[in-house]
Amino acid sequence: MRQILHGRYRELAPHLVPLDYTNNPDIKVPMALIVTMPELKENPFRDRIVETFSEDGQGNMSFNDFVDMFSALCETSPRELKTIYAFKIYDFNRDNFICKEDLQKTLNKLTKGELTPEEVRLVCDKAIEEADLDADNKLSFADFENMISKAPDFLSNFHVRI
Amino acid sequence: MTIEQQRQGLAFSGSGHPTDQESLRFRRVSSRMSTQIYHEPNSSTSLAQEEEQSGSEPTLELRNTVFPMALKKAARQVQQMQVPAQFNGGSWKQKRIKFVRQFKSNVREFLYFFSLWGKTLQKIGGRNLVYASKQPQRLRPRWQTLLSLTGNFGGGVQSYFIFLRFLVILNFVSFLLIAGFVLIPSIVFRSVGIKPESSKADVSSECLKYDPNPQGLVVFYEFFLDLLSGTGFMEYSYLFYGYYNNSVIVTSLVGSHFSYNIPLAYLLTAVFYFAFCLICIIVRMGKAARVAVTTGGSDVRSYSMIVFTGWDYGCLGSKATKLKQRNIYYRLQVDLEEERLKKHAASLTLCNKVTLHSLRVLMFFVAVGLIVATFLAIARATTFSQENSHVPGILGLFYTYLPSIVITLGNFLVPLLCDQIALLEKYPPSATVVVALLRAVVLRLVSLGILLFTLWKQIMCHDSRDKCNLCHYNHEDYQCWETSVGQEMYKLTLFDLLVSIALLVLVEFPRRMVVDHWSCKLTQWVGRQEFVVPSNVLGLVYGQTVVWTGALFCPLLPLINTVKFVILFYCKKITLFYNCRPALRTFRSTSSAIFFLAVLLFGWILALVVMIYSVAVIHPSFACGPFRSFFRMWKIVPESFSTLPEGARDFLFFIGSQAFSIPLFAISCVFMCYFIALASIYGKSVAMLRAQLKLAGQDKQFLVKQIEKMKPLSPQHNEGEQD
Repeated sequence: MRQILHGRYRELAPHLVPLDYTNNPDIKVPMALIVTMPELKENPFRDRIVETFSEDGQGNMSFNDFVDMFSALCETSPRELKTIYAFKIYDFNRDNFICKEDLQKTLNKLTKGELTPEEVRLVCDKAIEEADLDADNKLSFADFENMISKAPDFLSNFHVRI
Repeated sequence: MTIEQQRQGLAFSGSGHPTDQESLRFRRVSSRMSTQIYHEPNSSTSLAQEEEQSGSEPTLELRNTVFPMALKKAARQVQQMQVPAQFNGGSWKQKRIKFVRQFKSNVREFLYFFSLWGKTLQKIGGRNLVYASKQPQRLRPRWQTLLSLTGNFGGGVQSYFIFLRFLVILNFVSFLLIAGFVLIPSIVFRSVGIKPESSKADVSSECLKYDPNPQGLVVFYEFFLDLLSGTGFMEYSYLFYGYYNNSVIVTSLVGSHFSYNIPLAYLLTAVFYFAFCLICIIVRMGKAARVAVTTGGSDVRSYSMIVFTGWDYGCLGSKATKLKQRNIYYRLQVDLEEERLKKHAASLTLCNKVTLHSLRVLMFFVAVGLIVATFLAIARATTFSQENSHVPGILGLFYTYLPSIVITLGNFLVPLLCDQIALLEKYPPSATVVVALLRAVVLRLVSLGILLFTLWKQIMCHDSRDKCNLCHYNHEDYQCWETSVGQEMYKLTLFDLLVSIALLVLVEFPRRMVVDHWSCKLTQWVGRQEFVVPSNVLGLVYGQTVVWTGALFCPLLPLINTVKFVILFYCKKITLFYNCRPALRTFRSTSSAIFFLAVLLFGWILALVVMIYSVAVIHPSFACGPFRSFFRMWKIVPESFSTLPEGARDFLFFIGSQAFSIPLFAISCVFMCYFIALASIYGKSVAMLRAQLKLAGQDKQFLVKQIEKMKPLSPQHNEGEQD
């Protein structure tokens, strides 16, 4: 499995990534190349996914980050781990809360701007109203986790096949 | 540094520092509570729990943590160095736990391999395309087309096929039951040469006349006509009630005491068949209800669920992603539309409200009128068909199939018209769906009831009393009325299958070919077909109800139905993959599973009423069948009862008496109260936990604010100490 991932990592940037990884060289592939992967290309959250799993938060992934990403998104990854990472992905401003602006950005990426601004506002209000338990008008991790635990298809949807 | 210190050092600290990237990464959310509350059958999570309980630090909990890869590797190396120093029992325990886990996953894979049509169902649901992931890189484009072709039909369509598989298994097991207790003994006794006993009752020879075999020369195409309508060579065969004998075998050889009472076996098998089906349905309903309760009324949380879990991350190919996007957009639009309608309804003036409600009442009466008109048509067609059943040739075949044709036409046209009516009624979308479903259910099941009622009227001659005076039933038209009813049910089943196949070949494939190869405005508007889940499921329920009704009169009907449903599965699968486009409107599968099982139960009740009526009210035929010498079919049970040994009889009398049933009733009331109390307690504790969660969140925020307040003070405090 690691070999397959190494192959995929290498083909993103053959001039940067050496064939031999036994010395653990410190190579980072920039975000612009990683989002060209077919598994991520069509995903509206590809930028956020790459940023979340990269160590520097800017999207430049080392091979370890790369393996981390696919192992978290794979089928056998435990639910808690997926929930943690989903929360991080949807938290655009990285303040450990999903506030209204984060939700609006999520929704716009999801529908690619087909909803009117009023509809977007309505959906965000309703979503926060449904999931927010501690009444602070934003979703903390506990709220998010509670909502995800009720979702029947979260595990099967939050899964990238490689 | 041991693992313990590492973990403690990097424990979660409130809201963290937003600017500090390091703490963002090295965070382990205290999800211990969620690990314990959460009951997913996830092997690594349960393993982590077990290891925690056993005391040894979990190697696999590392997987659950959010450390970067390098740190995890380092931690694992440290653990591996520590392993020899651990107690030997610890490592043996780990090995045992690992072995058990491996064994469980192997057994699961093995059983999954045997589950009927498992791979097809997964393909339809869109998860886990195992075969596709093994393809090498250069075949990638073909894989993507395959994915975009199969797409993700969603949970609703998958639930239809799961329901179909359940019915296939139910019918097959029922057939095994009937074969074991009725069919095989009958075959054995007939081959041994045991003749049926003639009726001992004091009736005229008119009632005993029964000649089902065709007289005279049989034309060759009669074979096919008989095959399709269950007459001729098929009538006097194991297929129908009339062929079975009322043989009661009692042998008392030296040593062995073998006795077999075929009429009793026939009746009791029918009763157990019904009970078995009821148990299966209720067990399945329980499972579905459990799922619905744990996901907690999914309709309530629709917005947040769609936004956060709507997108399928495994979606590949631009076509599939566009489709998924439109799907999400459509789902949001449906919910938004409901909100808009609610607001609109709240803002209506009194005059508008009155007109809307009166329009709704009017449309309701129109719909009821349409449905009643269908019922009258079915009744008329049944009477006409029964009167003209002896017309030979193709015309005769058409006449015998007339009730089935009218029912199918009605079930097709009336929902279409009701859809048009629903446009005028302007209910909110969810209510429209429910109303349409209810109308379709009423139409299908009650039309079957009307057919049976008309047949019953003719058999018991409600119109012309004189025909029934001699034999208590209409012996002139129905020498063996049970076989006639069985034939009707057989014809309905067969016609249903033929119509499905004909629709597939004559309508669905041509439609897809026309839409694909000839692009004009009309074809674009019509478009490719969508797989409509509710009407297909109602078709299955209707077919199963027909089988239940006819099982008493046509013992091989469950077998025929098994074959029919298997053929239907493959036909629907083919049409789904080749002719249908993935639906824009996905059907919500969790609540609908319960609804379909409830409709199936309603069909079961209808069949039960028919069975009870036939067994307890109508006189069995004198000329044929296992009950020819009984006043009522039910009478076999008291008669056999009297041959039971003394002890068993007393025991059964005691069970039926008041001394037993009243305490039993009281005890079951007590149990019911206990379960109701338990359920209400669980509900209250859920509400309490939810409130606690809220309070905990507020406490956390308060503490964080306090910490931030005290932070400016602490550097001054430190400086003070150093001084």
